[in-house]
Amino acid sequence: MSAVPPFVERVRSALGDERLHVALGRATEALRSRRASAFASLEDSDRVRDLARKAKLEVLADLASQLQRFEERLVANGVEVHWAETGEEANRLVLEIARRHGVKRIVKSKSMATEETHLNPALERAGMDVVETDLGEYIVQLNQDRPSHIILPIIHLTREDVGAVMHRRIQVPLSDDPRTLAGFARAKLREEFLRADMGITGANFGVVETGTICLVTNEGNGRMVTTLPRVHVAVMGIEKLVPTLEDLDLFLRLLARSATGQKITTYTTLLRGPRRPGDECGPEAMHVILLDNGRSRLLAGDDAEILGCIRCGACLNACPIYKSIGGHAYGDTYPGPVGAIVTPGLRGLHGWSELPAASTLCGACRDVCPVRLDIPRMLLGLRRETVRTEKTPLGLRLGLKAFGWIAPRPKLYRAAAAAARRLVRARAREGWVRRLPGLGGGWTQARDLRAPAATTFQEQWTHRQQTARATGSTPGASAGGAGGAGVRRQQAHKPEAASGAGLTPAERAGGPGGAAQHPPARRR
Amino acid sequence: MSDPVQLFHTCLVNEIGPEVGMAAVRLLERLGHPVGVPLDQTCCGQPAYNAGFHDEARSAARHMLRVLSATEGVIVIPSGSCADMLVHQYELLFRDEAEWREKAHAIAGRCRELSQLLAEEWPRMPAGARLRARVAYHPSCHLLRGLGVRDAPLELLRAVEGVTLAEVEDQEECCGFGGLFSVKQPEISGRMLERKLAAVAASGADRLVSCDLGCLMHLAGGLRRQGVGLAVQHLAELLDEALP
Amino acid sequence: MTARESILSRVAAAQRTARLPARPVAEPMAAATRSRSHCLERFGQELAALGVGCHVETTAEAVRERVRCLVEGQRVLSWDAEHLPYEAGAVLTAASRGSSPRAEQAAAEVGVTGCDGAIAETGTLALLSGRGRSRAVSLLPPVHVAIVRPEDLCFSMGEFFARHGARMSQEPSCTFVTGPSRTADIELTLTLGVHGPGRVVVVIGPEPA
Repeated sequence: MSAVPPFVERVRSALGDERLHVALGRATEALRSRRASAFASLEDSDRVRDLARKAKLEVLADLASQLQRFEERLVANGVEVHWAETGEEANRLVLEIARRHGVKRIVKSKSMATEETHLNPALERAGMDVVETDLGEYIVQLNQDRPSHIILPIIHLTREDVGAVMHRRIQVPLSDDPRTLAGFARAKLREEFLRADMGITGANFGVVETGTICLVTNEGNGRMVTTLPRVHVAVMGIEKLVPTLEDLDLFLRLLARSATGQKITTYTTLLRGPRRPGDECGPEAMHVILLDNGRSRLLAGDDAEILGCIRCGACLNACPIYKSIGGHAYGDTYPGPVGAIVTPGLRGLHGWSELPAASTLCGACRDVCPVRLDIPRMLLGLRRETVRTEKTPLGLRLGLKAFGWIAPRPKLYRAAAAAARRLVRARAREGWVRRLPGLGGGWTQARDLRAPAATTFQEQWTHRQQTARATGSTPGASAGGAGGAGVRRQQAHKPEAASGAGLTPAERAGGPGGAAQHPPARRR
Repeated sequence: MSDPVQLFHTCLVNEIGPEVGMAAVRLLERLGHPVGVPLDQTCCGQPAYNAGFHDEARSAARHMLRVLSATEGVIVIPSGSCADMLVHQYELLFRDEAEWREKAHAIAGRCRELSQLLAEEWPRMPAGARLRARVAYHPSCHLLRGLGVRDAPLELLRAVEGVTLAEVEDQEECCGFGGLFSVKQPEISGRMLERKLAAVAASGADRLVSCDLGCLMHLAGGLRRQGVGLAVQHLAELLDEALP
Repeated sequence: MTARESILSRVAAAQRTARLPARPVAEPMAAATRSRSHCLERFGQELAALGVGCHVETTAEAVRERVRCLVEGQRVLSWDAEHLPYEAGAVLTAASRGSSPRAEQAAAEVGVTGCDGAIAETGTLALLSGRGRSRAVSLLPPVHVAIVRPEDLCFSMGEFFARHGARMSQEPSCTFVTGPSRTADIELTLTLGVHGPGRVVVVIGPEPA
């Protein structure tokens, strides 16, 4: 696994990619509006979301015994259950199962958990033949790329890109028509389905009450890989449990709507065990690998709630940062707002602390999350952790520590603010600053800075109160009177004058102080 | 005569946009509210809080709580993000300190973001608010999603004769300010700014209005950098301008 | 300590320190149900929206004739006759079955099944696995014909779970099929028939006498 370049480089590379920008804009816009329509058609959607959130929180609060119960049911259904503390262990278990069953050819349905454990390279190194069968993941595999979105893995590729990849890697005619390309994939992968020995899937949900794995797909590859090969292995994160079928119904109502705007995906498959004697298809052996890989550590802390994520991708589509930088910039399996919490949670904060910092905390993610995960709260918590345990830039640290010291000391605060104001105003031309040094340089990299006022609000207010007292008039407030005593503010000035933006030099040069503001004397 | 109110003017208004504070004062007085300004207020601590420096944020917060607890009545705040800080985040900051958490809870109950209050009381405002303007409204994220204030600013704009609301694509998308994010991630911030300004330009507006000075500085700074002369204004300034 | 013990003990410890938010207060929702006629109408609407062909026949004879027409001239893979309603097996005597060689099944051009339930709210077919009801029938061929009895209809999936929970707990697999297989992975352009059937047709027969 090659080293991941630093975050700032990943961001720059993504921002510089105009095609990516267009693709992301188009795709996230489409998914957002489809989600909105789908939720408009969901009766009592608020209650459904509340119930789903409640179910997840209940499971997490009781996870150990839920896992045990789940295992009991699975075993009773004839499923062999394995436990993997780490990603490597999960991969090792898959390999062991494959060897035990004399498996050589493997077909995989989409599974983020196996992305997380880097399963494919491990299987390939051991001489196994592994083919991804989800169309997007198949292209990713052919291209030796990584998926960039939870639901649409190749959101970052154009149709021309896909055609070129397929032409190069599997020698099909060059085409850029999505339907033709999908047809090539169908033909090629059908061969793979028919001759595969083992199918590997993830699991969207595990239903505790019945010992059922639930797979949610649109293409049918999830069905193919769990129907035709003689062995089925499902790798499931331990947090994916839901208590009952009734709960599953809630989640099914939310997942497709949140992910693609469909009421339900084409195929929802509930799997309870291997084929029974007399069945004509279905695997002879079914295995479930319960994966920890850092989830128990996440559960122990402030961000436990994130384990309620159902991997719908709605937060990605709503996030203006994701829309700007795409999935690869997040550097690991899970991109977007959920990734900014899960990646540090599973891999450790060290080396990943930039992810939770790269957010404006706008809250669009929380608004669309089907289980109402409070992502901004968790991002803030991770930032707090970062300050506690990681190195932060010295300038920022000193600056904010100084802030903490002077904020409760009004006189000092005013003096410091006045000094800062003077410094900035000294650099202003026509009321604007084009370049600042240090941390301020971050501001002026992308925009000008409006020069601070010559006088503060408090100074103007105090002056006004004093003037009113001196002249014996009451500043302003006779109730609602248009012709009341007191100085009325001046007539409507030109819009540009209101805040200094857009004033011509001549207009601005008018008052004392020369900066963007109207001097206090002209106001009431 | 209405009840006196306290103005938590915010540090940005004090240092960078005093005219917003003055406009807010005039609006409140027109509604009959005598305005008090606790002069010891400094900063709500949000920059430190969002950056993860929670001890420093608490230091600022305790001071604000002391200053505001020494007053009575409604606390009016001309900033969605600062209002959200006091209304929601202070209690989280003092999660483990019962005494301060209670103070924070009491203060939270007294806070009103300016447009919230104005919209509720607008019927009492002298009639005749008039201004010819095509306004692009930018709902700041903390105001919109943090406080749930969606309609108040729009109602206020609609109450001004002559104001038309321009349709801005992806209107509710974050402008990219995000406090310190604007300086720590200038490239992403800049990209988001570009998108927002492009949408504003496409809307045909001649004026850009918001309720958060941070967003306004970011947006105005971007317009200035682009050389675009679009007027940028806090909602309080527009209403103040429109009233006879 | 085995991995299992290790994970469970870590999880149990984590539960104790986990900072989980307060649970929302929400009343459980009863599974939505509707009258048979409402279900039939809604089912038809959803199928239309999905692009699934729908034929409503008023006699068992008409159902068989419809199925015969739909599969005419094509290689058929079907459920065993005893599992098909309206004795539809009678017009599918040359069909391959789940017990046929796989290559033969894979060469079929149309698959014919009954169903264990149908969900009106979303236009969904519920298919339980079992002997004589091979999963491959609704999966391998490019066209899937499903014969539905009105009494199979539920309004919602919740209703289906409630009604058929016991049966579901006996079969290894239950698949819900909603329309033709589809993908939008390439530039969000919709393509039908990637892996699963690209065309689905539903034949609804009469209510029992």
